Amino acid sequence: MEFKDYYQTLGVAHDATAEDIKKAFRKLARKYHPDVSKEPDAEARMQAVNEAYAVLSDPEKRAAYDQLGQGYQSGQDFRPPPDWDAGFEFSKHGFSNAEAADFSDFFAQLFGHGGGGRRTGFHAGGLHAAGEDHYAKILLDLDDAFHGATRQISLRVPKLDANGRMALETRTLNVQIPKGVREGQMIRLAGQGTPAQGEGQPGDLLLEVHFKPHPRYRVAGRDVHLTLPVAPWEAALGAVVMVELPDGALKVRIPEGAQNGRQLRVRGKGIPATPPGDLLLHIEVVLPPAVTPKAREVYETMARELAFDPRAETRV
Amino acid sequence: MRENDILSGSLLEETWLTLEQVAAACAVEPEWLAHHLEWELFPHVASVAGTWRFSSAHLTRARRMWQLERDFEAVPELAALMADLLEEVDELRAQLRQAGLD
Repeated sequence: MEFKDYYQTLGVAHDATAEDIKKAFRKLARKYHPDVSKEPDAEARMQAVNEAYAVLSDPEKRAAYDQLGQGYQSGQDFRPPPDWDAGFEFSKHGFSNAEAADFSDFFAQLFGHGGGGRRTGFHAGGLHAAGEDHYAKILLDLDDAFHGATRQISLRVPKLDANGRMALETRTLNVQIPKGVREGQMIRLAGQGTPAQGEGQPGDLLLEVHFKPHPRYRVAGRDVHLTLPVAPWEAALGAVVMVELPDGALKVRIPEGAQNGRQLRVRGKGIPATPPGDLLLHIEVVLPPAVTPKAREVYETMARELAFDPRAETRV
Repeated sequence: MRENDILSGSLLEETWLTLEQVAAACAVEPEWLAHHLEWELFPHVASVAGTWRFSSAHLTRARRMWQLERDFEAVPELAALMADLLEEVDELRAQLRQAGLD
């Protein structure tokens, strides 16, 4: 197990005051805020920052960490001595068990007690509390929303060992993805969250659905957007074209006089939710290149005979 | 449960979350959520027959607001304002994606 230098993570000195630590945490929490950060690994960095802050902002945990970490460098192999935490009582502080499940093994090994400290922990008997709901994001292909699928996911969950100490364990689950699931929706798996204390009910597992970017389709809620390239004559004269969708090809009528950028809505052909979403086709008129004598001749004929001025409305 | 068992879940929105469930999911006290409802910081949460009905979007809002209040000691109204802005950013990003500009 690697030693984590929490002072280095927050960029503060070992003798930093509580105020310095809070200030450094807030600066980094702003920098790596998952909703706004442009950093590629913002989420992982935010977890590391949260973990460091969970320890250094708590006087009890900080004191224990300082005592234990003397002489260790970041990344160095580390094994805590048995009963290293005798004399320390850790209280639950700020972060939920579900959030702490995303922290490192190093954190779990040192501070992974059952919420109220080992002496009042799980195996003492008589203490029953419901487990917490656990969150995870699940990244799916758009095809999964059309057909449903079974996906395997791995989760790190807190679990008690024989000594009543909480450790993180990797759990693999096979999850049935229901047909019709859409971006941002949550799938709830009852009883698959954080285990309960004593005889309490376990928490649920909530999976937040996101789709992998697709080269052709874009998803907005239940609706599926697709750019539909059409030839100028298809747009001008109208046409019936085939559109490929994840659940098969669809015939779509392009209305006569369809302009570039126009949006066609095909009701009920988006994600097959209840009610189903729509398919929105963004018309993109593609010009054939004038690279052959024949093509040039056709364009020249149009120029001569159509008397078309696309900038008529801009003239004063 | 065997390792190869396949779990079937329920989709939220077909099943709404109650106030207590959202509070548990965010690891906050139900009172925290009740006060925020009372202060009208969850504008689109509906109460049907005396029971608050939360969707997955409300759950995301609750988690965002709670984290902003905890991490930055933001006052609830400021956290709600941030949540409003983040929801607007989500909406604009979705529009960019729809237009193929993302």
